[in-house]
Amino acid sequence: MSMLFPKVGRKQPLLRLGWWLMVIVLALGVLTHLLPFYIMIVTSITPAQETLSTTPVLWPLHPTLAAWKLIFQWAENSGAGALLAGSAGEPFWVYFWNSFFMTSVTLLISIPVTSMAAYATSKLLRGRRARWTFLFFIGTLMIPLAVLLIPLLFLTLNFPFALPGGSIPTIPGTDEPFPTLSLYDTPWAIIVPGIFNAYNYLIFKGYFDTIPDSVLQAARVDGGSEFNIFRRIVFPMSIPVYSVVAWIQFYAVWDSFLWPQLVIQSNDKAPTALAIYTVMNNFINSGVMDRATALSQSAAMRSALAAGLSWNGLMVLALLQTFPIFVMFILCREYLLRGVRIQGLK
Amino acid sequence: MSEPVTEVAAPVGGSEVAQPAQAPRLRRRSRLETWLFLLPAALFQLVWGWYPLLMAFLISLTDAQPMLPSHFTGLESYIRVWNDPLVGQAFRVTFIYGAMLVALTFVFPLLIAIFLMELPPRLMRWMMILWFLPISVIANSILWRYLYNEQYGLLEYIATDILHLPHQPFLNDPHQVLFWLVFPSVVVAGPGVAGLAYMAALQGIPRSYFEAAEIEGAGFWRKIWTVSLPRLRPVIAVMLVYGIIQGLQDYTWPQILTGGQPEGASRTVMLYLFSYIQNQRYADATALSIYLFLAIFTIVVLFRTFFKEDPDA
Repeated sequence: MSMLFPKVGRKQPLLRLGWWLMVIVLALGVLTHLLPFYIMIVTSITPAQETLSTTPVLWPLHPTLAAWKLIFQWAENSGAGALLAGSAGEPFWVYFWNSFFMTSVTLLISIPVTSMAAYATSKLLRGRRARWTFLFFIGTLMIPLAVLLIPLLFLTLNFPFALPGGSIPTIPGTDEPFPTLSLYDTPWAIIVPGIFNAYNYLIFKGYFDTIPDSVLQAARVDGGSEFNIFRRIVFPMSIPVYSVVAWIQFYAVWDSFLWPQLVIQSNDKAPTALAIYTVMNNFINSGVMDRATALSQSAAMRSALAAGLSWNGLMVLALLQTFPIFVMFILCREYLLRGVRIQGLK
Repeated sequence: MSEPVTEVAAPVGGSEVAQPAQAPRLRRRSRLETWLFLLPAALFQLVWGWYPLLMAFLISLTDAQPMLPSHFTGLESYIRVWNDPLVGQAFRVTFIYGAMLVALTFVFPLLIAIFLMELPPRLMRWMMILWFLPISVIANSILWRYLYNEQYGLLEYIATDILHLPHQPFLNDPHQVLFWLVFPSVVVAGPGVAGLAYMAALQGIPRSYFEAAEIEGAGFWRKIWTVSLPRLRPVIAVMLVYGIIQGLQDYTWPQILTGGQPEGASRTVMLYLFSYIQNQRYADATALSIYLFLAIFTIVVLFRTFFKEDPDA
């Protein structure tokens, strides 16, 4: 695809040098980009005591799977987990399942809903109506999440009222407040607000805009219903944009942190992101991470370090948090470049 | 298509302009279908998008008692938040952090995208897989918390044992903490979604533009400057606005790495907002969020007036 280097005279030494320089810059950049993965993996197979040594371990001198085993034992019984997480000890797979459930359900509902709306705005509506619908859908894009945070919190607490619990209006003629539905502290509190996503809508619409109308007209003449045209013609043509959106949204929901921290209260409903944060804080607060207290054989140190856990355990958790995102990326990689056509906000 | 073809009075041929000429029954049906396509998304956008936005302004004008009935208090919470000395500090921190984040990391996806497009297809494929390899933000911030540790972190080791500097405070120094918060994003910068959008846009530039530039004698950088960048301008504008909005409300990274320490020197507006919520000061939190919204809105409007979209692109 070379565009910047000239077609003729590529063999000139100076140009050759330039090209190689660019490749080297890219290669070195990729190495630093991958450095975090490397350090995480190496740390995760280092013995607990060594992760606290003042000379950092850049090469696994005494590789051990102790931390991995402990984390997976923690997956089997909550004994070691209780030790790690204080009172917050659920088997690890509980958190993993919570994350997986909320992410996959969000994607399964959100992608059809968002893409159908984008398709209708792009292909089924025309003129002023299409423009207003478009504005209705992307109008919230530039609103910072911060503004929606508190009304959304109230809405999950007292659906359908975005009001604090004391302010629910009463049913006319009685003293009874209207019945409300609480999504708070359930996975639905994370799933439902994420179903329509203006950013994904924009990506979908940008892609559907590039599909020629003649393709659809031909199908309409053949008598296909709009839904069948969408399902049998448009969808297969648009696999790339679907995989881009799936990847972006999977990443965003799996790694979401602020919103779950607000709406998930009980420990057994927490996603992995929250659980890891809790474990990290417990580690730090109990002094396991502090060299001085760790070496002076504090009680917390004895329990965790003797079990073989320190930063190595946290890195195992971090890798487990990264792994599904990684898998999703591998699944979608072929289509990523073909699927993005952002048309700008006009 | 395996569908049985339903006989409708669609005009044969002339399908390009058939829309107004469709039979009334077909048009009515397709209008109904259009609404069915839009309805679910419209409902969610209304209930979980526009309605909370409206309520945010309303809640900020009340005292938003968690359990007791709330009262209309006018602008009281706005005034209270305005007079909170920590709010001023939080905004200062947020602006410095956001500006540094955008200034130091914005070019990398652009450069990486432009360079990647120069590679031969096979090499590009592999480089892309490696470059776009995603890392969990949570995982990355926990890793950096380890690297920044003042007793045994890798950075401390590099500073004292390799560079022979005195003991470095890193995240513990109020004057440096914001820089060190941004630093990881600079070192391990990846192209991310923005890079993907740039590459897609670069693919759409006609080859002839570059050939014409070449005949005119344009070199490597000159082509980037006069062909690639102007054509990418609309995408860059969108990504920059998005980057500013994201940078000014970053939460995960400062929360996990510092939690706002030391002495609030890294306490961004989002962190402070969160502490309001934890103290059940909902009205104040909403007022603060609307201040943040106004700040972001002003910046985006200013930016839009100075960075007009290319009429040509």
